[in-house]
Amino acid sequence: MLEIRNLHVTVDGKEILKGIDLDVAAGEVHAIMGPNGSGKSTLSYVLAGREGYEVTEGSILFNGQDLREMGVDERAAAGIFLAFQYPLEIPGVTTMTFLKTALNAQRKARGEEELDAVRFLKLVREKAKPLNVNDEMLKRALNVGYSGGEKKRAEVLQMSLLEPSLAVLDETDSGLDIDALKTVAEGVNAMRSPERSMIVITHYQRLLDYIVPDVVHVLSGGRIVKTGGKELALELEKSGYAAYGADAA
Amino acid sequence: MNEVMTEKAAQNFIDAYESARTVLPGADGWLARRRAAAIEAFAGAGLPHRRLEEWKYTDLRQTLDKAGFAPAPEHKGAVVLPETASASAFSALDRHVLVFVNGRYRADLSKAARLPKGVELCGLADVLTEQWAKDLLERRFDEARQAEQVVDLNTALMSDGMCLRIRKGVKLDKPVHLLFFAADDGASHTRNLVLLEEGAEGTILESHVGEAASFADIVTDVVLGNGARLDHVKLQDESANAVHLATLRGEVGAEARLSSFTLTLGCGVSRGQSFIRFAGEGAEAQVNGAYALRATQHADQFCVVDHAVPRCASNTVFKGVLDGQSEGVFQGKVIVRPDAQKTDGRQMTQALLLSRDAAMNAKPELEIYADDVQCAHGSTVGELSKDALFYLRSRGIPEAEARRLLVLAFLDDVIALAPHEEAREILRGLVSGWFEEASI
Repeated sequence: MLEIRNLHVTVDGKEILKGIDLDVAAGEVHAIMGPNGSGKSTLSYVLAGREGYEVTEGSILFNGQDLREMGVDERAAAGIFLAFQYPLEIPGVTTMTFLKTALNAQRKARGEEELDAVRFLKLVREKAKPLNVNDEMLKRALNVGYSGGEKKRAEVLQMSLLEPSLAVLDETDSGLDIDALKTVAEGVNAMRSPERSMIVITHYQRLLDYIVPDVVHVLSGGRIVKTGGKELALELEKSGYAAYGADAA
Repeated sequence: MNEVMTEKAAQNFIDAYESARTVLPGADGWLARRRAAAIEAFAGAGLPHRRLEEWKYTDLRQTLDKAGFAPAPEHKGAVVLPETASASAFSALDRHVLVFVNGRYRADLSKAARLPKGVELCGLADVLTEQWAKDLLERRFDEARQAEQVVDLNTALMSDGMCLRIRKGVKLDKPVHLLFFAADDGASHTRNLVLLEEGAEGTILESHVGEAASFADIVTDVVLGNGARLDHVKLQDESANAVHLATLRGEVGAEARLSSFTLTLGCGVSRGQSFIRFAGEGAEAQVNGAYALRATQHADQFCVVDHAVPRCASNTVFKGVLDGQSEGVFQGKVIVRPDAQKTDGRQMTQALLLSRDAAMNAKPELEIYADDVQCAHGSTVGELSKDALFYLRSRGIPEAEARRLLVLAFLDDVIALAPHEEAREILRGLVSGWFEEASI
């Protein structure tokens, strides 16, 4: 599904990723762990196509397509979804309007029929219920005045509605108490399927108790320095990142 | 600017007065004397220009000299409105409609039958013999005399207008829609008179459309008696070759409420000025608006609210979106007189620049002579947030659609201040349509 080869990325002229190789097959969940400043968020933004993240070397193939040639919204329509660490507040655009616009834009881009208001409402309520997102929340402006937990639940709702084939979860656990974490993790786990891949980016092992990965990578100093099974996460919890490179925080 | 040039447009207006004065409404009575005095004062002052503080960002003299408008002809035949959303705006609403073509009332095109008892609605020529109309035309609205020059011009040349009087305690059954259509090139001068007596209520919808190179000079004088309520929604969408100069003067009685909203989409140059004065305690004024400009459009909003008495509340919010090389202006002033304790006066202007070449000039001012008041003013100018655009696009929303959503969201909270619910939805639709045109 995703093939990253020797990926080098600079931001504001500074090289952040220094040769990443990563293969994520369909149905797999990969965790990327690492200290602050190791390049975890940069990797997620490069996948989503954020402006200012320049690929200077290497390649990213998504289902055989060269991602670098696709715009942000084209990547989304092709099936890439980034759950933001800090979801943006968008005053004046209700969550409902946003979700409908996004879903129908993706359907249109894929040549599928757009959903009318009635079918959309039925679908969004069905997806919102397990995440404890009620109608009142859907009518509010997107993320405006949402608590940390509400923002993350709204991100998972977007993911559940848009049904991406590759979901990248950037520090989805940050700012969540244990109950909110469980709700979010259940939402994510419900979406695991043999056709869908996930990259879970996290600083802490805690999230991986709830979203159990198939593969764990350690990112440090812009490189993947170790790859292992889910037990690697537990090991890191004990020993910390100190063993992985001098610039680890 | 050379001096011969600067007098050109003013001289055209003086000439127009000379040739029309015997045929203008009220030519044989008190109004003829008022007109003569007004044109004399106008001839002395000339058109306002940028050396006057109030006209610093909009040089009306230069604009009109350059455009060289002749008087608009009287249009008597059939009328074909442009096939635009603005021209048909409000037409689906249940309303009384008065149609003005080239500034003149066309009873044959209007529909204002079966008015409730206690409501008078007609063209200007039909009320000049009535005392209330005379009182309004002679009233001194604007103590600071800031609108003097343009009101003098209007008084001298006004050829028609809408007059609405709602008697004590009467509620207008449905909105009055004034449709101003510029069918031909040229200048028109319109005077609207609105008198709502104690406890009276009414809604006025006003739209200005046309594809001509027109100059619309409109003065609307409003007097609200104690406890009266007037809701006013105005849409201005004239052509890129048109100039629009609208002056609203309002006197708001005790416990009365004036709520006015203007959406500006059209015109090469437009200036909307409001002068609101509180005449009794506990009154409220809302003077708000939105504008969306492109190409070389220039729109100026000028608003003075005079808190002459205690315990009144005023709120002014103007928000605009500027594309191309367009230019926006906001000048506002809240005056709180020494006795006007417990005043609540607010002014806010916000602009979103969609292009590097667009510009915004904002000058909100407070002039406070009382000590127990709550006043605030603010001004912001910004661009669309790149982070917000990225967020929307990362969900598959194409860039043009993401920009449209964010622009509409930016204007949405000010449009929410427009007083009439159905009219508000119509304005939302027009703004959405404006953006679709822009992105072609």
